[in-house]
Amino acid sequence: MQIHPPTGASSTPPASLAPTPAVLAGRRIGILDNRKPNAGLLLARLAERLAGRTGAEVTLVQTKNAAIPCEDQVLGRLVEEVELVLTGTAD
Amino acid sequence: MTVDTAGSPTDLLEVDDDADLIEVLASLGWGDGLPVVAPTPERVEAMLAGCSGRDPEEVVATLPPRFGQATRLAIAVNAVMAGCLPDHLPVLVSAVRALAHTDLNLRGVNATTHCVAPLLVVHGEVVRSAGYHGGLGAFGPGSRANATTGRALRLILLHVAGATPGDGDASTQGGPAKYGFCVAENLEASPWTGYAASVGVDAPSAVTIHCGEAPHNVHDMESSDPTGILDKVASAMATTAQNNACISQGEYLVALCPEHAATCADAGWSRGDVASYLFQRARLPVGELKQAFGHRAWAPWMQALQDGDAAPMTGHPDNIRIMVVGGAGRHSSVIPSWGMTRSVTIPIEP
Repeated sequence: MQIHPPTGASSTPPASLAPTPAVLAGRRIGILDNRKPNAGLLLARLAERLAGRTGAEVTLVQTKNAAIPCEDQVLGRLVEEVELVLTGTAD
Repeated sequence: MTVDTAGSPTDLLEVDDDADLIEVLASLGWGDGLPVVAPTPERVEAMLAGCSGRDPEEVVATLPPRFGQATRLAIAVNAVMAGCLPDHLPVLVSAVRALAHTDLNLRGVNATTHCVAPLLVVHGEVVRSAGYHGGLGAFGPGSRANATTGRALRLILLHVAGATPGDGDASTQGGPAKYGFCVAENLEASPWTGYAASVGVDAPSAVTIHCGEAPHNVHDMESSDPTGILDKVASAMATTAQNNACISQGEYLVALCPEHAATCADAGWSRGDVASYLFQRARLPVGELKQAFGHRAWAPWMQALQDGDAAPMTGHPDNIRIMVVGGAGRHSSVIPSWGMTRSVTIPIEP
């Protein structure tokens, strides 16, 4: 018996990660808080420790709401201001 | 844009005639756990007759988070699997088109930890011609059109959109509405104009997608005036347990049973009067909401309210959507939306 697959072709926008820097000292790191409860708390503490241990310059940026994709304006700011982005979610 | 054609519905799969199809599909990560009808070329071709004259390869919508291409062919394959009839295909195609509307925020709806599921409401002539049911027990089992179209829409979300539990769907508990959630508006028993026309869609047939929770029952056997009924509806809306509680753009679909709707209309209340009354009565103290939610996606005027004020459960009466569903008896329901989503109503393509 032959059947049609039910999935349909996918058209995923191309994306790839930038090379990860080997050393964080002197780097500009962005922390992207998606506004989920406790995400800011966790990420702010992470930022504080990263800055203390590596000397990296850390910027904390918030999105408007976790339920919608990160705004272009926020992504644009990260592209301009930092070299590495850390993000995560929490509930 | 890159296109991965793996799994394209034009590439046929060979399956042993004796194989347990449900297991074969499960091994490929497909299916909803229930038996399916095999989408053979013959059955899919017969299904596509429901959209005769339309290009089967045309992409109706691209559905996140997988960004799968929902062609009429892919939609028809899932319709066959769910047990639909060809008459149901135009409804399904329009429902898929509505899912992709930017206001609906399908990526968020599919990916959230909340239990939200898209409710498909069918309006107009197609209700009668294709056998959809909006009367007694409308949200329950018994109608092939409701059951299979709702299921097909979920299969499309699983297969094409990639809303697979644990992958594209992070819902903590899932929910029964995620198996299939389709109903017809009971226009024959409604004292008001059709819902689609009330939101500006003037077409013989239409669909609405409202992304919400499973229905919350509202029982009122006693009231002979609108306020008694609607105060109970308001009490079902006013709770901090819903996503909507901290999102002022959140919508509530209020599915009034014919008898409750008649009580309102007999007293001279329009659909808008019902929504306005609920906007006034479904409220919680601002202080209670602030205590419950550290971050509130509220309109600026709601942010300015003081702790002692009573905040409405949504930012505008138009966010309270009223339609008639069901049969004899005095039970209505409230279907709170997920919050960061807007319901979408569009005509069914002829």
